[in-house]
This record gives sequence, C-alpha cells and structure tokens, in this order.
Amino acid sequence: MLNLNVNPCKMCMPMGAINALLGVKSCMPILHGSQGCATYIRRHISTHYNEPIDIASSSLTEEGTVFGGEANLLKGLRNMIDLYGPEIIGVCTTCLAETIGEDVSAIVKKFYEQNPDLNVKIINIAAPGYGGTQNEGWFSAIRSILEQIEPNKTHNDKINIITPLISPADTRWLKDFLTEMGIAFTILPDISENLDGATETKYSRLKTEGTSIAEISAMAGAKLTLEFSEEKNSPAEYLKEKFGVPFIKLPLPVGVRGVDRLIEVLTEIGGAVSDRIKKARGRYIDAMVDSHKYNAQVKAAIFGEPDFVHAMVRLCGENGIFPSVVATGSATAGLRKVLESEIDMCKKFHFESDAQILDDSDFLNIEKACSELGVNLLIGSSDGRRISRKLDIPLIRCAFPIHDYIGGQRTRILGFEGSLSILDQAANAMLEKTESTFRTVLHSKFFKPKAEDKTESHPCFGEGACKNARVHLPVAPECNIQCNYCLRNFDCMNESRPGVASKILSPEEAFERYVKLKDTIPNLTVVGVAGPGDALANFDKVRDTLRLIREFDPAVTFCIATNGLLLPLYASELKELGISHVTVTINAVDPVIGAKIYKHVNYLGKRYTGIEGASILLANQLSGIRMLSSAGIVCKVNCVTLKGINEHHICDVSKAVAELGVFMVNIMPHLPVKGSAFEGLERMSNKEIMILREQCGANIKQMTHCRQCRSDAVGTLGEDVSIELREVEKQAVLQAEKPMLFAVATRTGAVVDTHFGQANEFYIYEGDESNVRFVETRNVKKYCNGPQCDDKGDRWESVIHAVSDCDAVLALRIGPAPERLLKENGIEAIATYERVETAVVEAAKKRRSSYGIT
Amino acid sequence: MKTVLEERKSSICGNRDRGISCERESVSGAVSQRACVYCGARVVLNPITDAYHIVHGPIGCASYTWDIRGSLTSGADTFRNSFSTDLRETDIVFGGAKKLTAAIDELMEKTKPSPKLIFIFATCIVGVIGDDVDAVCRSAEAKYGIRVIPVKAPGFAGTKSLGYRLACDAIMNLIRPHAKQHKPQKRFGVNILGDFNLAGEMWIIRGYLEQIGVPVISTITGDSSYKTLLQAPSATLNIVQCAGSSAYLAERMESEFGIKSVKVSFFGVEDTVNSLLNIAEALGRQEIMEKAQKFAEEQALQVLPIIEKYKPHLKGKKAAIFVGGGFKAISLIRQFNELGMEAVVVGTQTGKKDEYEVINSLVNSDAIVLDDANPAELERFMTEKQADILVGGVKERPLAYKLGLAFCDHNHERKHPLAGFEGIENFVKEIYTSINSPVWKYA
Repeated sequence: MLNLNVNPCKMCMPMGAINALLGVKSCMPILHGSQGCATYIRRHISTHYNEPIDIASSSLTEEGTVFGGEANLLKGLRNMIDLYGPEIIGVCTTCLAETIGEDVSAIVKKFYEQNPDLNVKIINIAAPGYGGTQNEGWFSAIRSILEQIEPNKTHNDKINIITPLISPADTRWLKDFLTEMGIAFTILPDISENLDGATETKYSRLKTEGTSIAEISAMAGAKLTLEFSEEKNSPAEYLKEKFGVPFIKLPLPVGVRGVDRLIEVLTEIGGAVSDRIKKARGRYIDAMVDSHKYNAQVKAAIFGEPDFVHAMVRLCGENGIFPSVVATGSATAGLRKVLESEIDMCKKFHFESDAQILDDSDFLNIEKACSELGVNLLIGSSDGRRISRKLDIPLIRCAFPIHDYIGGQRTRILGFEGSLSILDQAANAMLEKTESTFRTVLHSKFFKPKAEDKTESHPCFGEGACKNARVHLPVAPECNIQCNYCLRNFDCMNESRPGVASKILSPEEAFERYVKLKDTIPNLTVVGVAGPGDALANFDKVRDTLRLIREFDPAVTFCIATNGLLLPLYASELKELGISHVTVTINAVDPVIGAKIYKHVNYLGKRYTGIEGASILLANQLSGIRMLSSAGIVCKVNCVTLKGINEHHICDVSKAVAELGVFMVNIMPHLPVKGSAFEGLERMSNKEIMILREQCGANIKQMTHCRQCRSDAVGTLGEDVSIELREVEKQAVLQAEKPMLFAVATRTGAVVDTHFGQANEFYIYEGDESNVRFVETRNVKKYCNGPQCDDKGDRWESVIHAVSDCDAVLALRIGPAPERLLKENGIEAIATYERVETAVVEAAKKRRSSYGIT
Repeated sequence: MKTVLEERKSSICGNRDRGISCERESVSGAVSQRACVYCGARVVLNPITDAYHIVHGPIGCASYTWDIRGSLTSGADTFRNSFSTDLRETDIVFGGAKKLTAAIDELMEKTKPSPKLIFIFATCIVGVIGDDVDAVCRSAEAKYGIRVIPVKAPGFAGTKSLGYRLACDAIMNLIRPHAKQHKPQKRFGVNILGDFNLAGEMWIIRGYLEQIGVPVISTITGDSSYKTLLQAPSATLNIVQCAGSSAYLAERMESEFGIKSVKVSFFGVEDTVNSLLNIAEALGRQEIMEKAQKFAEEQALQVLPIIEKYKPHLKGKKAAIFVGGGFKAISLIRQFNELGMEAVVVGTQTGKKDEYEVINSLVNSDAIVLDDANPAELERFMTEKQADILVGGVKERPLAYKLGLAFCDHNHERKHPLAGFEGIENFVKEIYTSINSPVWKYA
C-alpha cells in the first residue's frame, strides 16, 4: 500500500545508532526521548544477542516536551554516570527530541560547565526516527563519533575499518583475518566482545570492550580507510575530507569475489596471504562445486539492509542462485543500479526474465513478490518467519534481528567460512525439500493408477463386479449444499435413491453393522459412505467409522461419495485413511449452469448463492479431483442429467473431468422427487441417457450399471441397462424369490440339538420368514468322532455336498473349520438351541436381509 | 560507582514497615525497565483479533511491537500484522493527518473483507506536529460507517499505566454507543478482563468456568473481536485477571453498565482455587459454588503429585521476581511459597500502593521490595540476597544468566501457559529445570 506500511522491513535510526555505540569501549548510550524507545530497543537488541543491554533514557515527560527536555537530559547524564561510570556517553536523539527542536549540543555544553571535574566524553547523535532506518542510524553514529572525538592526526601505520552492522562473530572473523594478513587496524565500532561476551567471574554492567577513545582519535592519522558500504553518509569520506585519510570502498567480503577483493587490497598495502587462507579459499571453492547443482534450484528472496542485500546478491550470482526478490526497507535509490548488472547476469544463466528489486519496501510487498515469482528460499532476518510459515518457504536467518532462534550473535556471512555457511544452508534447504517431496511428486506426476484390482472388484467401478457386495453406511447426515433436485428429509424404507436412509448411524453403530454384515455376506468387499448428506461435511464421523473398520478389516475397499466442496481440505487425509475410490457428483462445469442447479453452497461459515456459490463449488471440485488423482485415488464422477438445464452440457462435464484423470463418468437420469425444486422437471428417458453416454464415451469411460442406490444400501448392485447384466439380475431376483433351504442338525426334529460334526442326518426345511415347511431328511456319513476330529478333506467335502443347495446350516455347535468351509460354499452356519421352526424362521429373516432385499 | 541513585531510594524498601514510593514517572538516566504510554495501550488492545491497529507515527514504534506477543486467536489474525503510517521528514514538516486519512482510505479500499474496527495509535510526535487525529477518526467513521477509534498515546505523557487507561477508554468508546443504542439484555455470565490469551491461558480459564457452570460472555481482550466485545455489557460479573491493566475498565463498566467485578489470579494452586471460589461466591448461586468446590478440589489433587515431585529439589531456594504488575508479583510469591521457596527480591514495573502493601505482608522482613527497578539495582540486590532464580521478562533474562542465576520467562511472548492447573506443571518444571541444570556447574 502507498500510505500504509504493512509489516515493516526496517527499524528506526536510534536502533542503528545504539548498535554502533555498543561497540565503543566503556560507552553508555542514552536516548533523549520517551522511556519506551529505550525499552523497545533494549528488548530487540538483547533478544538478538542474548546479552544484557543497558540503555538509559531521559524519560521525557509532558512538561519536558512542552518546555524542553534540558532538565531531564542533564539529570539523566548525571545519573547514568553515577550508575555506570562510562568514559563515553552517546546521547542519541529520537523523533520526539528532534521534533520539539532540542539543542543537544547546547545541553551537553551546559552539562560540562555544571560538572567541570567529570572526565566523560559526550557524543551527540542526531537520530530522528523518521529520518531513516537503522542503517542510517548506524552510520550517523559512526560519523558523529569521528566528528566529536578529539582527533590525533599523528600518522600511524594502521588502517581504519568501517562496516555496516555485522554480527559479533563476523566482526571477530574480520579482525582475525586482518591480523592473519599482517595488517594493523582499527575497527569502528567493534561489537565482537560487547555483544557476544564470555561468562566472567565478575559481571560488569558497563561494556568494557570495543573501540577505545584513543583508537578512535588515531583514526584521523591512519594510512587508509576501508569501508565496506555504499552508504552516502560515509565515515570514510569524512576522514578523507577532514584529515586526508585515503579510502577504498569495497563490498562486504562475501563470496569469492568479495573475499578476493579484500585480499587484493590488503596485499597491495603489504598484507600477506597465509597458507591457511589459501587452503580456506580452496576448500570454499571445492564446496561451491559440491553444492552448485542444488543451489541452482534456489529462487531466493533476499531482504534487509542495503549492504547485506548487495553482498548476498553477489553471492547468489557466483553460485547460480537466482535472486528473484531483492528488497530493502530503506529508500536506497542508488542500490538498484548496483544490483541490476548482477541480477542481469543471473537472469541470463537461468533464462529468467522476472526478478524484482524493491526498495523502501514492507513485508506485504515482499510476500506478494515471493508468491508471484515462486520464491523457494528466504534470506534475511527472522522478520521473514511469517512469510516463511505462510508460504512454506525455508528461511536462512543471517541478519539482525533474529528473535525466534537462538544465536543471532553467532551468525556468519563474511569470509570463506561465512559464505559457505550460507551456501550450505541454501543447498540443504533444497535437498531437504527434494528429499521430503520427490516420492510423492514423481508418483503423482508419472504414476497413472491402472484400473487396479480394487477398481475391478468394486461393484460401482468395475462392471464385472456385480457379484461383489457393498455396504453404504449412513453416518453422514449433514449436507453443505442444496441441489434443486434433492430432498433429504425423506425417510422411507421403500424409497430407493440417493439421499435416503432410514436411520443415521454413529461411527460405533456403523462399525457394528459392518461386522455383522461381514459375517453374513462373505462377498462384502466394499464399504462406502454416500450420505445421506455429504461424506466430507461430516468428515469427523466418516473418519472415525473408517478407522474402526480398517482396524478390523485391513483388506476392505473404502469409497466415499461427495459433492466435492470440501475435497481440497481433506484430500490428503482421504489418502491416509486408505480410501481408494471417490465419487464426486458434478452436474456442471459452467458456474452459470451450476447456478441453476445449486440453490446454495455453505462454505467456511458463509452461505453463497447463484454464480458465486456455483463457482466456489466448481473450483473446489476440480482442484479436489486433481489432488485425488495425483494421490492415486480412483475417481468417478456422477452427473445428474436435468432436462432443460444441463443435458447439453453433460459432454463438457465429461471432457473436463477426463482431463483431471477421472476414471469414469456415471451419467444418471434425474429422479424427480416430490417436494424438491425440480419435482416438475421431466425425466430423461433411458434412451436419451444411453445416447448421452455414447457421446461422452469418446472422452471417458462410462458407467452403465448404476442403480442410484440408497445411502444405506447393502448387498450387490443391480443394474438396469445392459441386457446381459439384466439377465444376471433376473436370475438374482429369481434366486431371491425361490424359497430358501435350511439344513438342521437335530435328532428329535423338535429342537436344534446336535453338533454339526456329530449329525448323522440333516432335516431339510424350506420356507421364508413367515412360513416354513419340512422337506426331507438327508443321511450323511458321520465324519467326526468326538473331540479328536479327523478332518480329512474328502469327508468334509461329502458333508458339504449333502447340504450344498442349502442357504444355511443350523446346528447346536459348529467348529471353526467346517464353518469356514461352509462359508466358502456360500452356506451360512448358524449356531442355535431353538425350536426347529423358530430357528428356521429366524434364519430366513437373517438371510433375506443379507441378500439386500427389503 | 553507585548502585542506587538518591532519587530511587524511596522506591526501594528493605524493611516492610516502611512505605514505598510508586506510581510515579521513571527517573531520567536510571535505565528503567518500563516501556511507555503507547506500549501500555497497545498491549491491552492488541489481542482484539480482527481490529486493524494502525500506528500513526514514524516507523519504530510499529516495528518494535509487530506480533511480539503470544496472544492466540480462534478467529482472525489481523492483529498479528503491523500497520504504520511510517511518517517521514516531510510529514513532520507539513503534518501527517493527510497521510493518515489516505492510509485509512487505502485500507478500506484494498482490504477484503473490509475492516469493521480500526484503532489509531498516535505516538510521541503526532500531537507535537499538530495532527488532529480525533477529526480524522470522526470523518472516517462517518465516511465508512465503521468504528475508527483514536488512542492518543504519546510515550512521554506518563507511564505504561496511563497507556492501560487509554486502552480501557478506547474499549469503552467502542462498546458504549452500541450499548446505549441496543440496551443489551442482561444474561447470566461473566466477562474475563485483563487476560490476553497468552499461550491460550484465557481458553484454559474459560474452560474452568464452563465446567463449573459459569458462561463466559465476552473476553477483554484475549481472543476477542469487534462482535464479541459488544456483548460485554450484558454480563452479570466482570472477573479481572490483570488488575494493573484492567481494574480501571472494570470500574468504568460498573458505573456505566452496573457490572460488579472480582479480582482474580490464576497463577499457582492457591490463587487458582481461591479465584474459582471467589467467582462462585460473587455470582451467589449455590449450585455453582458446589461445582466450583468439587472441581477445584479435584484439579488441585491432580497437580499435587507434580508439585511433590519437584519440591524436594526446590525447597529452600531463593527467588527474585521482577514483573509488570503487582498482582502477578503477589501470585508468584505465593507460588514460590507453595514450592517451599522464598521470594527475596520482589519488584514490579507499575505496581500500585495497595499491591505493595500486600507484597510487603507476604515476604520476609528482610526481603527487598522495589518499584520500577533498574538493572543496577536488580544486579545488586539479587547478588546481595543470593537469589537462585529470577522470574522476569525478556530484557532481564541475559542479566540473570550473566550473574549465574536461573531464569523463568514470565513474559508476554511465551508460548507455554503458566496459568491455571495446566500452567502449574509448566511453571514448576521450568523453575526446576533452570535451577538444577548441569550447566551451572561450569558457568
């Protein structure tokens, strides 16, 4: 936004100034302003460095703001001297002090006059919060220190080192490196010890390390200044103008070019490259080669202070990393030019044309750019963590401030080792991503689910699977959309169509039903949830149900039917639950047509109607199916043909879903339901449906055996189109109509009183649940002699043969082995101690229900 | 080098018979641990989840308060963003009101769903440069028909406590017109005031209340929203958790909506149990009192073994406490007593006179009690009193570690609850782990 900074990518000038003052020996900073500034800055700095940070405040009050803060500042200076005994005090202004026009140098002068005996150097630094970012504050402080400390112009052999804000660990590296090269130097400021201190026996509340006054004075007599920055307010230029100290500006020593440039300059002034440095360089280049292919996958967003960003872009350029987004929170117009040539190089290598340079940016813009350009790595401070989490992009934390990790003071970017730490983190981020995703990515991309066994044996998906039974468990009462052809408040046992169930089951009840049915229907291979509402609108129940069943039966096939609205939300969980087949009802792929079919769509707590509702539904259906296909779940699309609404659109639907990898489409005629909005709609004839199926069959496999079954259907699937299958159906019906036969193990003929294995003869009964009739007795060879049962196969076979035309055998007890054998032959084994007639009636009832005839 | 400034002496009390000087502005140059008026206002209003909290001023204040607190939300997370008019040099010269108006316009135009509630925090220099923030807010309210509430919180105008007060006024400003217009029907139930749902603590407390049959109507401001705040006037009782920040709001609500209040604290077994019983008492229903007694007893029994497990390793250890408000310090002293520990240094940023009286009555006579302490004083007294652990905020942690003390983070950024029965285990474990860590053998 233009007038509103959303999630700042910068801090204020006092922050930078204080950071710099903390690198001066025996220096105590004070902020001339409100108490809060000091506290906020302390909190930020101490969290990053994990060090105690004391910053005084003049604690300006209402009165001070109106009449001037002189009294407060004078008192503050006195008090902080009493408490800390500093050699230097840095008085840093704030928004408030600058706005009310405080003349700090006059106040300081007065303080000196009032306290002639005090030996404290007071530096005043202008740092209005609105005047720039922490970067400007840092350099402003360095310049003020140089300007206000009495210079010692005597020539010395040292060089001056000025850097932007770098970590204590990097500062230590730089110092060690210069020493190793044999260069004498003064670095200002030096935060290496003060902000990453060791545990000492005696705690000193004043920071006693850092650049001393004497060292700072002598900077005026140094032989050279090296300044690792592009900053306009340049301390090096000041030293040149004022004291004639020549300077060289160079980028931060990051990457081969950065470090080589530093080595080159140092060599020119007499430095020597040690073997260790040569080896470090060699190792670094070796490591660059090792990781170059992984780094080539990186599309980075780099954000932070200008010099940091510049150094990182150069590092990217050398390593084949593409810097997609380069952002600073400060307004640094000059940076763009410097970055552009580097980024152009990267663009050429990657054949990329899109990279964004954002200056004076906030994180809202950075986030937008990251999404647009497909960034896969963030490099900067921990302020990027929210984007990291939101967009699921890893973040390398290597700049101030770091608040969510420990070790901000130890981050490294400088030198071969520092550069390598960034490269390793970048490469590892890519490796981690590949390692965790390549299996699923490649599976979904290249593995096309064949019509596997499960699909072939699924009664709704495999045409030859009519002999297999399925159960629809009515655990999903709620629906999140209203279709104009649907009425779900029906509750009639004679009604057979989708959306109807006579009773809603809890997950536990559904599980019990399954266990019972599995016992009576051996060919029960599929468990489905098809409403009566939407399976996903009741997903908690569905999940619980399927988990219970899966534990009991690892082999059973799971399928669900849904309108698809919540598919994107649950797709991955469906896979985890082991659901292999999903049917999605899609009646239109054009929201204008959809708007006529769907009265409303309830999504994420809001009700949408018309085209808006249809669009949301459609978008979710399509993306959901895409997710399912890529997860290897077999999808079927049901499409209800509505005369005058979508009958000319059906082929578009087929075509669209075919492209998403849908396995088959089921074009169904609309069943007009009384009371629904479409109750008056004329029904499509079977012939019309057949023609549609033929037309759409060019694009995708068609289902021709759908029976539009109930949400609590049990048993095998009938069908109504294929003549061949109709014959099967007829036979099934005949079978069902034929009186059932029961073999009863009984001695007396009155009560079921004989063990199956000990029965000499079986009483054969015929009948249904209302009427039973004795038919005959059948003698069988006794095949079992007491507990030591001889279970030779041929004997078993003969007994089974004797009862092979029966639906069930009733006996006092039946051993597990014969029970299994009976079951394999489609004969149910029923253990009971009832009167024969009663037992047979009960058995008949049970068999009826298992055939799915109600 | 001194450790205690002359002016600070009256705020430090090593003898409980003497009074303590508190509720006054920080001493210049003393390195106070306090933040400012803006901070106080911001932290109280911050957890209003669907509000746009716009900081009108230069960038610093917005940058330093971006999502720094662990307040959790069950709804919007707008509050986790930082919005600022990011005033620059030219705005200081020519005034920032135009930019503020433009910022609101832009927000209204570009944000979907469109904002319903905006707070404008005016920081230090806004008043100085003469921006009429009230006028900008009024005209934005008229233009968009939403609530745009000014919170004029220049840092210099007082202490953090003033900021709390300004936030409370802003909340009243939000709910008052709605209450006047709609005359809310009284319902049996309570509002939870002064809980910011840090690490879900408000949810824990609300869960307790629901279990003892007390419906929670509105929460101020933990996990609240524009809509839920407007429900507040219909409650029968306010329970006030962070008294420092919200006692004033409770007073306002009592005088304007006739809602009585009861102060509570859910830190430690004793305070949690007492608070539940006090709430039940205040509601005056026998069945609730019975449920509360039963519930508190059951829960307290469950945490007892945890305390017993760690107590032998903590008994006799000395604690230093430096927290924001007095009420929390009181709870902590009691919590340490439950563990067989002794509070030897107790300080707060913005404690009140009556709270210090309670503190003084709870600690041993030689304990140090101090208001608005600074690092030098903490260092001296923690060393002198040989404290084993400091309980405090982020800024105090490195000091404790440098001095070789264990530390317990009782700040607003934490990601684990310390309140309620659930919090007790976290608290005790943290104290134990830090005090008994093997690292101290080497540090």
